[in-house]
Amino acid sequence: MSHAIDPANVSALLEAKPSSPRQPPQGPGTGSLRTAAASRLLLDQFVRRTVKVGGILIIGSILAILVVILYEVFPLFRSLKSTPMPALSIRSGGAPLALAVDEYQEAAIVVREDGIAAVSLDDASPLPLEALDLSGATIASASEPRGGTVALGLSDGRVLPLQIEFTASYADSGRRTIAPHIQAAPSLTVLESAAPVELLTYVQGPDGPVTAVKNGPSSLLIVQATERRSLLGEVAREETRTTVQLAGDAGEITALAINGLAEDVFVGASSGKIVRIDLRKDAPQIDETASVSGKPITLLGFLIGGRTLIAGDTGGQVSSWHLIRNEATNTRHLTRIHDFESHAAPVAAFSPSVRNKGFFTADSFGNVHLHYGTSGKTLLKDKIDTSSLSALAYSPKGDGFFAVSREGKLFPFELDNRHPEISWQTLFGKVWYEGYQGPEYSWQSTGGTDDFESKLSLTPLIVGTLKGTFYALLFAVPLALLGALYTSQFMHPSLRATIKPAVEIMAALPSVVLGFIAGLWLAPMMEKVLPGVFLAFIGFPLMILAGLLLWQKAPDSLRRLAPQGREVFVLVPLVLLALAFSFGVGHLVESSLLGGDYRRWITSVLGFEYDQRNSIVVGIAMGFAVVPIIFTIAEDSLSNVPPNLAAGALALGGTRWQTAVRVVLPTASPGIFSAIMIGFGRAVGETMIVLMATGNTPVMNFSPFNGFRALSANIAVELPEAPEGSTHYRVLFLAALLLFVLTFLVNTAAEIIRLRLRRKYQAYA
Amino acid sequence: MRKLWRSGDPFIWLTGGALALSLLMVFLLVGLIVASGLGIFWPKDIHRFQLADGREIVGELIEQEEIPDPDAPPGTPAKHRIKVKQANRDLYGMDFLWIDEADIKAQEIAAGAVQIERREWGNFIGFAKEFRDGETVLQGAENALEGARKRLPEIHELHGRISGIEKDEIGALSRQEEEARLRLKGLERRGVKEGPEVEALHDQIEKLHGEYARYQEELSDLRAQMTGSLVLSAAGGMEKEVPLSQIVRVFQPNEMGLFGRIWFYATKVREFFFDDPREANTEGGIFPAIFGTIVMVLLMSVLVTPLGVLAAFYLREYAKQGAFTSAVRIAVNNLAGVPSIVFGVFGVGFLIYFVGGTIDKIFFADALPTPTFGTGGILWASITLALLTVPVVIVATEEGLAQIPTGMREGALALGATKFETTWRVVLPAVLPSMLTGMILAIARAAGEVAPLMITGVVKLAPSLPIDGQWPFLHLERKFMHLGFHIYDVGFQSPNVDAARPMVYVTTLLLLIIVVALNLLAISLRNRLRKKFKLSAV
Repeated sequence: MSHAIDPANVSALLEAKPSSPRQPPQGPGTGSLRTAAASRLLLDQFVRRTVKVGGILIIGSILAILVVILYEVFPLFRSLKSTPMPALSIRSGGAPLALAVDEYQEAAIVVREDGIAAVSLDDASPLPLEALDLSGATIASASEPRGGTVALGLSDGRVLPLQIEFTASYADSGRRTIAPHIQAAPSLTVLESAAPVELLTYVQGPDGPVTAVKNGPSSLLIVQATERRSLLGEVAREETRTTVQLAGDAGEITALAINGLAEDVFVGASSGKIVRIDLRKDAPQIDETASVSGKPITLLGFLIGGRTLIAGDTGGQVSSWHLIRNEATNTRHLTRIHDFESHAAPVAAFSPSVRNKGFFTADSFGNVHLHYGTSGKTLLKDKIDTSSLSALAYSPKGDGFFAVSREGKLFPFELDNRHPEISWQTLFGKVWYEGYQGPEYSWQSTGGTDDFESKLSLTPLIVGTLKGTFYALLFAVPLALLGALYTSQFMHPSLRATIKPAVEIMAALPSVVLGFIAGLWLAPMMEKVLPGVFLAFIGFPLMILAGLLLWQKAPDSLRRLAPQGREVFVLVPLVLLALAFSFGVGHLVESSLLGGDYRRWITSVLGFEYDQRNSIVVGIAMGFAVVPIIFTIAEDSLSNVPPNLAAGALALGGTRWQTAVRVVLPTASPGIFSAIMIGFGRAVGETMIVLMATGNTPVMNFSPFNGFRALSANIAVELPEAPEGSTHYRVLFLAALLLFVLTFLVNTAAEIIRLRLRRKYQAYA
Repeated sequence: MRKLWRSGDPFIWLTGGALALSLLMVFLLVGLIVASGLGIFWPKDIHRFQLADGREIVGELIEQEEIPDPDAPPGTPAKHRIKVKQANRDLYGMDFLWIDEADIKAQEIAAGAVQIERREWGNFIGFAKEFRDGETVLQGAENALEGARKRLPEIHELHGRISGIEKDEIGALSRQEEEARLRLKGLERRGVKEGPEVEALHDQIEKLHGEYARYQEELSDLRAQMTGSLVLSAAGGMEKEVPLSQIVRVFQPNEMGLFGRIWFYATKVREFFFDDPREANTEGGIFPAIFGTIVMVLLMSVLVTPLGVLAAFYLREYAKQGAFTSAVRIAVNNLAGVPSIVFGVFGVGFLIYFVGGTIDKIFFADALPTPTFGTGGILWASITLALLTVPVVIVATEEGLAQIPTGMREGALALGATKFETTWRVVLPAVLPSMLTGMILAIARAAGEVAPLMITGVVKLAPSLPIDGQWPFLHLERKFMHLGFHIYDVGFQSPNVDAARPMVYVTTLLLLIIVVALNLLAISLRNRLRKKFKLSAV
């Protein structure tokens, strides 16, 4: 086995690895040669497998990016699932009026006609609870538990506010015990007649508790207590009582609710109307009447935050309402926001979430619906096997719900319900949020208060991304394509060899550098010369034309300095001149035509505010990043057009320009298209420039004088603050998925076009 | 004119103009950064401005601009104003001041003006009055500076010792204590609450506390030795006593000659490269950012080069060419076009929370809920960037493989070499420069990339470097500082943007030099390679 080395390759071989020219193996005998060969083959096999497995793994792991992002996004769109757990029987003692459970779903408190009881949710065994002194009365009604407080209407005309609490304690072994507690506040004699309180509502307002009680078929007693704490810590309590009589056509009072700040009392009537009584006036008085449907209202209640009113009627209809302020007349109006999926029977029970705008409603036949207030969607419909459902409780963590029937049967459900607020509508459509004048596209992921609702519409961010991309391409495409055309068709080849590396350097500039210059240098600069920037679009070609005319008249000795193919030497100073000229004229135009201050003019005439960090600045900075990409690819495809085509055109008498535009350009057009697409992909995902050169406000306009907030910058800013697994976190992953899919599709299309073009050129050649 | 139009020359000139504009923009940008970056450490003269209203301002002249006046009738000569760095933030409330030129009655170079770089509150500009030690005045106005300068080296040495103790000795103590606490916690988790082991740990913690107290004593001792202060008068008749312990350097730019200025410039450059940042990163050096960038880039190269090369060899040398390989090639090419922030999101979702969280659960359960690897760190940032740059290495290596004449491979195979031997001894050495090109391009890309790092482990101020003298020397879980992020953070997140601007320009210049130099290196390497294979392919 001797090795004769091919002389053609030996030089390359030596040059490549001069230190170790191959030595022929010099085995002592054929036996060892055979084992050597076997081990060589084994090694070869081994490496072959390793490379194969390794290569496929690496390529696979690249594609894993998509999988991971999909995996994080997927739970957002998983539909909600409920699992019924075995029903429990609790000792019956009259119809249950209200139900509350603790956050670990271990204990429940049931308000019944004969009193209050606590039960374990494991086995329905009774749990110890403080005794409640009702002084011989029974419980006639209970308000909806709200913020841990439930108000009881007693049979002797009193109202008893009750604090409900669950405390968790941990034993040494780490076992958790939940202890339910109740604490009664001083009772309030409401009905002097000592008649039972049939219907009441109660809220702890900012100044003190407000109670509203039905004291006649269509009359209402409102008790407002104001508590003032003196300097010595004594509480002075003042009480005002007002009776409000509904108008004759309203019918009997059937439901009551007070909003979170105790500003209004809402009265549901048998005529299907809601009457709003304004408490902010000196004396409470009826402010407006809104019609829900023709059927008697059976339920009024508020979602967390106390601003969205939910109404249900005997027809089973469930709707949500906001109080919308009319700025012009300074009045407020009940406005219907959503209608949810109806029940088949009168709405009997209601339980809002304490975490989000979700809520349960149920009819007495055991149909339980879970709705989401903001999106207007009904997420879940369950049927419970009872015909006398009387109270509902949504677990505080949102991971379960409980229904209790008149007979004392308790139905627990587990709920897999992590992102109830997300739907295609809330992610991409207009949503009517609380406190808004109408449906809007809004991105506002974090707020100052606890009951702040995240507004996660991606539309303003998508619009922002597209806006930035549009202005960047507007600036970059003409510049890059014209430059590429010149470089490939008209420029002297020796010059071309130095231009291309310069452009490659341009592509390598870190985007953080471009963003910094755009934000801290270009933006203030642009503010000074903006009219000049716009004028440059006209001044630039004009100046070049003028320069050309002068150049033709120039003496030959001068013209020899920049012959055909090297015009760029004349053009650089000419462009500088054009810019200086445009900015100069811009100042003149500003002082003579735009009233001396273009910003004022933009605001008054065009109706836009001018931001210093605006889309024009981003367009130029991002354009700067995109120009070299478009330039390189376009220049490649233009240069690679088979030269015999151009030669033919020139031989037939075409000018340089005619050949370039009518022959070369059409042939290379797919390549140019793919260049623009790849430029688009780069601009869509650009992060640092957008982050640094815009104000990052999510706006929904295409004004060049305003900034925007882009998907990419938004991810960079918000992802570190989003807790893992939260809705906000997953929506940010969705934003990343959008970017990934968009750029991947665009780039793949561009790549396929480019490959096809290359094959076409090969056919020509 | 018509003839000219028909010749198409105006259009050709227009296309040339577009190219000229692009090139001009590059030169303008680079020129701007170089010009502003280079001048920043040069000591500027301190001027004294007498204003019409009797005020006196002393400070450096920063810039001049026209006062926009929309209501002025056209033709009126423009008015100007100047921006002055008056320093003394603690006395005046702001470092920078705009003065209308019309208000200036007289302007002169302020003879004898002193500029002091302080550890807090920014610079001080004023005139030396006396040098004192406690209540005793050691030197009067003439010799105050001399006295302070003589004493400063000693103070600096003390300061160095104090920060050394604070950082190394006390740092080591608190690490040991943290370790002991974690071990206690671990024992408790396993149900061991008493016994010799627990006792020993408690004793150890006790002992560490004792040592800590001793170091504190030593520190206060050292601090007491840092006496002496410089009393200065500032413009506006105010007086300020600056303790020497607060002084980084004292200089009188107006009295400096050319060599003095060059020397000053050199010391400032040295400080920039090798010192820690001060004053919310707006003063001092950027050593941790440079160091962090280098370590991150090195880690990334160690990961990306073998992986990228392996994938390229698989695609070009081992896989059967067909629909699969071209699909993979398209995918790899496109991955280079996927936004970098998407890679960052992958790093957060998969590397940090999934892989890091799992590592924490298995190896660092005692420290939970404080995450060790389950939060951003230099390892995750490096892997993220390695993924981001792996297409660059694959494409460059593949390109190199494609250029190697098939004859070379066939020759080796014909001589009886196995495929592996051919690859290892013939193909690999020949493709080495291409691999290198790919690696350099990957490094250049990684050095300038910021967005994915922002979410995978970069911080504005890291308490310790990713490599130090503590076992195991390389701390992969630590957060780090990075040049590119430094630019963003100091330029856009700092409360006093005016004061931060010089620092940002210099950092930008440094980053630009690194990235451009790496790219030029890659380009020249590639060009040389192309020439070589053009010859050998013949």
